[in-house]
Amino acid sequence: MICGRDHGDQNTAQIVDLGFTLHRRRRNRLLKSVVQTEMDEQGCPRCKTTKYRNPSLKLMVNVCGHTLCENCVEMLFVRGSSNCVQCDTPLRKSNFRVQLFEDPTVDKEVEIRKKVLKIYNKRDFDFPSLREYNDYLEQVEDIVYNLTNNVDVENTKLRMEQYQRENRDVIQRNKAKLTREQEELEELLLQEQQSNEQRRLEVLQEEQRQLQAKRKNKQALLDELEQSQLPATLLLAQHKVRAAQLETQIEQQKQAVKPTSLFSTGIHMRQTVSLQPVTKIEDVLYHYRPLQVETYGPPVPELEQLGRLGYLNHVRAAVTQDTAGGYTSGLACYRAIQDAFSGLFPLRG
Amino acid sequence: MKLNIEGLLVYFPYDYIYPEQYSYMLELKRTLDAKGHGVLEMPSGTGKTISLLSLIVAYQRAFPLEVTKLIYCSRTVPEIEKVVEELRKLMEFYTKETGESNNFLALALSSRKNLCIHPEILHANIVVYSYHYLLDPKIADLVSKELAKKSVVVFDEAHNIDNVCIDSMSVNITRRTLDRCQTNVDTLQNTIHKIKETDAAKLREEYRRLVEGLKEANVARETDIYLANPVLPDEILQEAVPGSIRTAEHFVGFMRRFLEYLKSRLRVQHVVQESAPQFLKDIFEKVCIDRKPLRFCAERLQSLLRTLEIADIADFSAVTLISNFATLVSTYSQGFTIIIEPFEDRTPTIANPVLHFSCMDPSIAIKPVFQRFQSVVITSGTLSPLDIYPRILDFRPVTMASFTMTLARTCLCPLIVGRGNDQVALSSKFETREDFAVIRNYGNLLLEMSAIVPDGIVAFFTSYVYMENIVASWYEQGILENIQRNKLIFIETQDAAETSMALEKYQEACENGRGAILLSVARGKVSEGIDFVHHYGRAVIMFGVPYVYTQSRILKARLEYLRDQFQIRENDFLTFDAMRHAAQCVGRAIRGKTDYGLMIFADKRYARADKRGKLPRWIQEHINDGSLNLTVDEAVQLSKHFLRQMAQPFRQEDQLGLSLLTLEQLESEEMLQKITQIAHQT
Repeated sequence: MICGRDHGDQNTAQIVDLGFTLHRRRRNRLLKSVVQTEMDEQGCPRCKTTKYRNPSLKLMVNVCGHTLCENCVEMLFVRGSSNCVQCDTPLRKSNFRVQLFEDPTVDKEVEIRKKVLKIYNKRDFDFPSLREYNDYLEQVEDIVYNLTNNVDVENTKLRMEQYQRENRDVIQRNKAKLTREQEELEELLLQEQQSNEQRRLEVLQEEQRQLQAKRKNKQALLDELEQSQLPATLLLAQHKVRAAQLETQIEQQKQAVKPTSLFSTGIHMRQTVSLQPVTKIEDVLYHYRPLQVETYGPPVPELEQLGRLGYLNHVRAAVTQDTAGGYTSGLACYRAIQDAFSGLFPLRG
Repeated sequence: MKLNIEGLLVYFPYDYIYPEQYSYMLELKRTLDAKGHGVLEMPSGTGKTISLLSLIVAYQRAFPLEVTKLIYCSRTVPEIEKVVEELRKLMEFYTKETGESNNFLALALSSRKNLCIHPEILHANIVVYSYHYLLDPKIADLVSKELAKKSVVVFDEAHNIDNVCIDSMSVNITRRTLDRCQTNVDTLQNTIHKIKETDAAKLREEYRRLVEGLKEANVARETDIYLANPVLPDEILQEAVPGSIRTAEHFVGFMRRFLEYLKSRLRVQHVVQESAPQFLKDIFEKVCIDRKPLRFCAERLQSLLRTLEIADIADFSAVTLISNFATLVSTYSQGFTIIIEPFEDRTPTIANPVLHFSCMDPSIAIKPVFQRFQSVVITSGTLSPLDIYPRILDFRPVTMASFTMTLARTCLCPLIVGRGNDQVALSSKFETREDFAVIRNYGNLLLEMSAIVPDGIVAFFTSYVYMENIVASWYEQGILENIQRNKLIFIETQDAAETSMALEKYQEACENGRGAILLSVARGKVSEGIDFVHHYGRAVIMFGVPYVYTQSRILKARLEYLRDQFQIRENDFLTFDAMRHAAQCVGRAIRGKTDYGLMIFADKRYARADKRGKLPRWIQEHINDGSLNLTVDEAVQLSKHFLRQMAQPFRQEDQLGLSLLTLEQLESEEMLQKITQIAHQT
């Protein structure tokens, strides 16, 4: 089938042609993608401006989840408050936010969710079991869903208020706390940051070291060439060997420099430490009640009375060395009398 | 013939055997005995497949309780067909020799439309299918979940396995994916509404199940019935689905928020690169999505799709992709990176934002395989350097061996051409890309070769762009015209249909004696899957070193990760990657011992020890000092000499006793000693 030179020429033509088709195909694909993004572009429902026509168009969204462009907001809300063009909800100008998402209801939902989560901020450790925590999470989700989709708004709001009243302490306490997952995340981020920083420092130091070593080596060669009697080729060869050695040395010298990231107390340096006061323990005050000892014998005279009653007359007085430790002759006498008096009466009953 | 391999009776369906096959089986048996993993490199065309099959089948018969199943993974459909063909031969031999009809059941899964989910698969002794069935979490969950623990897994042609692993875990999200996902979510919502009116009990039943948690799956995993799925992390199984996504409506709302968040992220003006924790933190701040529900996302979606009884899951591929992404990003804090590019590098004026969630750690995808199966064998014609594979795949092999090709005549001739006739250094490095002197010398090399090499020549370039430039330049300089006096020229393009057409015509031209040159690209379709036996490829010319495009951010992130986690230096990996592709390309020409071919490396950088040392041992052995840094003229002289030698008649008897053995020859003391030297342990 294929024979002779003519076919060869045809093939060359084919080659060139192929190049063109390639380019064309690529261009078509790109054009398509441009068209698509344009179609996706949204605009202001009131003045009908689109992003394509006005690249600096800024869409805003309020609590009701309906979009308006910045200019329309400025115009309609000159007096600070007005009603939504689409759903007639009374709105304030200050509540307008830049629309982050394509679907304005998501903007609205996120707004609501943030508010709800400020109140419903119980953590997993506030519950005795995972099951209850999950039930709680679902409840929260229900509230957000209702508020976003305007289902049973009044009741839901009441429920929220009631919850807020009942759980004021918990809400207050949990305000500054992160969930366990978030803590883990923070820690990971911290680690990542540190390792990045460390790597950067290492590379920098490494470069410095290499530069210095090379400079030194070069200088040494120059010095030698100046002073030595040996032929220059030999010196150059030596230098080459040394340079190679240096290279390998540099390769090996990769000592890890550990940065200090911990305080001596074990707290991470950039960790936020909670400065809240330690919670007080409320309890009944302690009242001292003298100890009543049942001795089963005649009453023992009090320690102070021993001298007066003459018990101490026949006891060796304490010498100065003994009193240094807090010993008095009364103590020993008292102990001995207690011992002697107890258990003298027979047990009753 | 029947072989005795360290006490194991192996039926081998051919009358002759290559010494390296015997050596290969020896190593393989030791791997199976040790119940460990192995990395084995043996040149292509020396009968790797049949050695593998006959040994493992024999092992299965001898120790039916030790090894219950062979899972043979290959790369392309033609390769799978080849394996099945060999297997058939082996089975016929068994029936002939033993006289009994064998009760071996083998099964090949070729494409998704032939996908078989019959329970019979569980009882098959041999399963042959593509890598993806085991590595891609989405497919593996369907197909390979219930494979027995006592299986032997073989990855053939595994030199690219790390890339397959990475691709199977990476997710690319474009604006189109998100739009399709949006439609999916809308459909889901509508279906939920409909079902709520008609069959609310179904949703309640699902809800009850979710409250109970995913206990069933957990029991299954603990009792070790299923292969672990990297998209379904262990922690999930031990917990119930979080309350925030338990009901269907809430979950759809959750997906909607996640989707809107992704859309807002795609609206970037400049390239963003961030880690998974950074992404999670941002998503919490923007749309109040916690990490935990994200982690359950993939599983929750599957449950919902099951409950809604959606038959055509393919329609929901976009939302499945997004949910997989959610699970992966919240599960793995390391080994992945997120890169958001607002436009392609080539067209910086046209917005086409892509979110690449790219896996940098191939070991994540393959880990369940290594953990579950008692022996995993990784084998290919080009696996050099062997030690890098265990490192990047994170496993400990018990055997690592590279086998050489025993040859009766030196049938391959690697030449490294470093200079043109005018002493200009030949190189495809960036600085000399546009250098006319280099391009002219490359053209000269091809011209001279086209004059002396019979039949087909395959030339590989480093990239499509480079090829286009060079060919255009050759056309202007009139080199192309001169070449066409000798041979026809065909070109590989990025279009599959055009390429297969060119390939067909190329083979036709080789067949009828006109002679042809195929210009193709390393890493392209031709370089990976197509063999050029005998006259289809008498010479392969590799123009330049096929380094991967190093400016890509994904590659940069991966290199950084390799350096930090595995202590593999950037340059080492890049060179390794370039050399394995170069070896693949030049290996296309030699597909057996009777075949012969020139391998011309046209770049002076190949002469360096660090590059040369990374070529497979069976090629390296034939590179001597005389074939380094040649000029074009010298290469032509050597080639002429080589081709004249090779053109002499070559009979089977010449090979016997040297590179082809009968049973008696194999059992001689002297030969057994020689065989022990073939395997090169590392």
